[in-house]
Amino acid sequence: MKITRRDLLVWGAGATAGLVFTPVPWKLLSDVSIWTQNWRWIPQPTHRPVDVKGSFCTLCPNGCGMRVRMVAGWPVGVAGVRSHPISRGALCPLGFAAHQLIWHPQRLRTVRHRGSASSWDEAHVAFAKACTEGPVVIVDGYPGHAASSLFEAFAEKQRGSYRVVSGPEAQALTPYETWSGVPAAALGYDLENVRTIVSFGAPLLDGWGTPGQFTRLWAERAVGSADPDLRLIQIEPSLSRTAARAWQRSAIHPGGETALAAGIARVLLEEQLVQARGPMPPLTLAQSAEQSGLSTDAIRDLARLIVGRPPVVAIASDDNPSIAALNVLLGAVGTRGGIVQKSKHAKSHLPAESELDSVRAVLIDSSVPGDFVPRTDAEVFRFAAWDGGSSKADWLLPAPGFLEELTDIPTAPTSAIETYAIASSLVKAPPGVQSAAQFLGRVDPDLTPVDKIIHTRCEALFRARAGTLCAQETTPVAMIPSVEKLEEQLRIGAVWMGEPQHPGGLRCKLSEWPQAPRSECPPCNSLGTWQAPVLPPLASKLYQESSLREGPERRNA
Amino acid sequence: MNTTRNTFVFGLGVAIALLAGWVIFPRALYVRQNQPLAFHHKTHAEKSGFTECGQCHALRDDGTFGGIPSSDTCTSCHSERMGASHDEAVLVDNYVKTGQEVPWLVYARQPANVWFSHAIHVQRAGLACAECHSTYGQSDEVRIYEQNRISGYSRDIWGHSISRIRLGRHDGMKMDDCEDCHRRHHVQVGCLGCHQ
Repeated sequence: MKITRRDLLVWGAGATAGLVFTPVPWKLLSDVSIWTQNWRWIPQPTHRPVDVKGSFCTLCPNGCGMRVRMVAGWPVGVAGVRSHPISRGALCPLGFAAHQLIWHPQRLRTVRHRGSASSWDEAHVAFAKACTEGPVVIVDGYPGHAASSLFEAFAEKQRGSYRVVSGPEAQALTPYETWSGVPAAALGYDLENVRTIVSFGAPLLDGWGTPGQFTRLWAERAVGSADPDLRLIQIEPSLSRTAARAWQRSAIHPGGETALAAGIARVLLEEQLVQARGPMPPLTLAQSAEQSGLSTDAIRDLARLIVGRPPVVAIASDDNPSIAALNVLLGAVGTRGGIVQKSKHAKSHLPAESELDSVRAVLIDSSVPGDFVPRTDAEVFRFAAWDGGSSKADWLLPAPGFLEELTDIPTAPTSAIETYAIASSLVKAPPGVQSAAQFLGRVDPDLTPVDKIIHTRCEALFRARAGTLCAQETTPVAMIPSVEKLEEQLRIGAVWMGEPQHPGGLRCKLSEWPQAPRSECPPCNSLGTWQAPVLPPLASKLYQESSLREGPERRNA
Repeated sequence: MNTTRNTFVFGLGVAIALLAGWVIFPRALYVRQNQPLAFHHKTHAEKSGFTECGQCHALRDDGTFGGIPSSDTCTSCHSERMGASHDEAVLVDNYVKTGQEVPWLVYARQPANVWFSHAIHVQRAGLACAECHSTYGQSDEVRIYEQNRISGYSRDIWGHSISRIRLGRHDGMKMDDCEDCHRRHHVQVGCLGCHQ
């Protein structure tokens, strides 16, 4: 029997059809996909005993507690710490995946000067020259940490200036600084005792402040109840995740927050719903209704609802002074469940957003968000662990990344209680990497190094004998035998927590209703949503593909 | 005539593909390897008097799983040769006396991107070891270790049957199997529960 070409084709068709009914295609697909995960150049932890170390997230100023699983000296996993008094075991998606940042392809490892490869020596020479030629500005993203003291000292010695870039949560507290004289860094929200929150677009359930703090309060006091103990009234143009889960939501026109705050204040004063007497807003109720998109009756109902279950606090998503004035009227400033003073030592700093005239050079610390662009023609020295596409940097200098640098964690911006923690260096930084503090220490060797500043701060805590040390167990500082023991505990993951301050010490003087204009810098990047410079693969899955946190474009839609 | 011939040839193609896919492919896919030593669980359990798996495969103080005992553990009985077998000589001379670890081939080793806590499953959930590891701990034979040529994983991860038809709860340790068990026990775990 002769085998024809047709026979071969028919046989091939039969074999192909038969193959579909075997495990070959599906098994090969599965195995090849696994094979691609195990290519030689993909880092794999070795099989060694797992070591769990206590530390803190340093990717934003909130400093959530972390348990880092280490294998052979490398972090392979991160989890929250339940004993942390503020974050209470929760982490944001970026924090959960932060250990992967060490291998991120956009990790900076070499000095870049205007796009070309350069060296640390050249950067030092250029910066030292700039220091001799004119004033230098140091920009810090986490004011209050040990390196900040070094930056301030350097700027003062060089007759330069120390500026800070604050996140939106900290920016929202700046109007109270103007009216009370107390630095915004010394203020916080007493969320543990509040019963009604009026959020003007603040993403409270979507990563606002210390991510775990409010979500935990929400879970304990609000979820599943038609009339919860903690009421959240979300005022926002779009149906954000926070708005969708809030107890009540008011949809307003985009940009109508100022008018609505004024309208609510007018109703509170006219109907004498609050004890405080304050300046009457210039807008009539009808004007407020027109600008905010709510009816006058809806504004009246909202005002009555807000005062229905005190203590009440209004939270803004930016530095809107009308919303801050509403808080003054509601009696939410300097009272339990409102805006309280947490510290007597915090200082006020110049914001980095303002013009930088007659400046020779600007040094930007790696703690500053990648989308901050200084408005200056000065020479910019920018430290960054990852190249997130930062522009306007003459010098791009590789800084230590996650867990690669010893740093301390001062109180989170929104917290009502002072805390202090130390994030030890758990991983050795790659060669050719320097922090801004190390860089300045080489320019001026007389500066006190970060580890000594941290030790001095521990000594101050020990001498004060106040507060408690929170680890697996809570220990009063007065019971700790030595400063060395205190520092040792802090370095392995314990958190010092101060005594709650008496809320009565904060008073705001408001002689007239604030005018609408807020900060003068038009779409100022640092006032927008905080965004990570780069995303590790796991966070990208959790955080970007699932859009757990809204992007500004959707929020403004 | 042509139709009959075509049907026969087509059927022949189907039959050969089925034979290749179900019989030849599974055999070709896995490399069969012997363990470095013939270790008999049953014999050791009887002679040591141990009745619980955890007496050798213990959890550490911090809750992490100790896995396979180190060669130090063997030293307590095998500091000198206890028999005349070849494996006994290899154990004592190559591992116990030199302090090197025996390079056991681990049937249940999970990929590096999976975090599995024995403490949670055994202590908190009360699962028996046999739920995942079958009754291998009571057997007196050394299983052949089968390694997938492409993925490099043990056959125990995929399961004994190439079709993934499971012969028991212990058969297969893929994510589907974990999810199936969690569903049966009404325990919900998000992505980060295992992929931290």
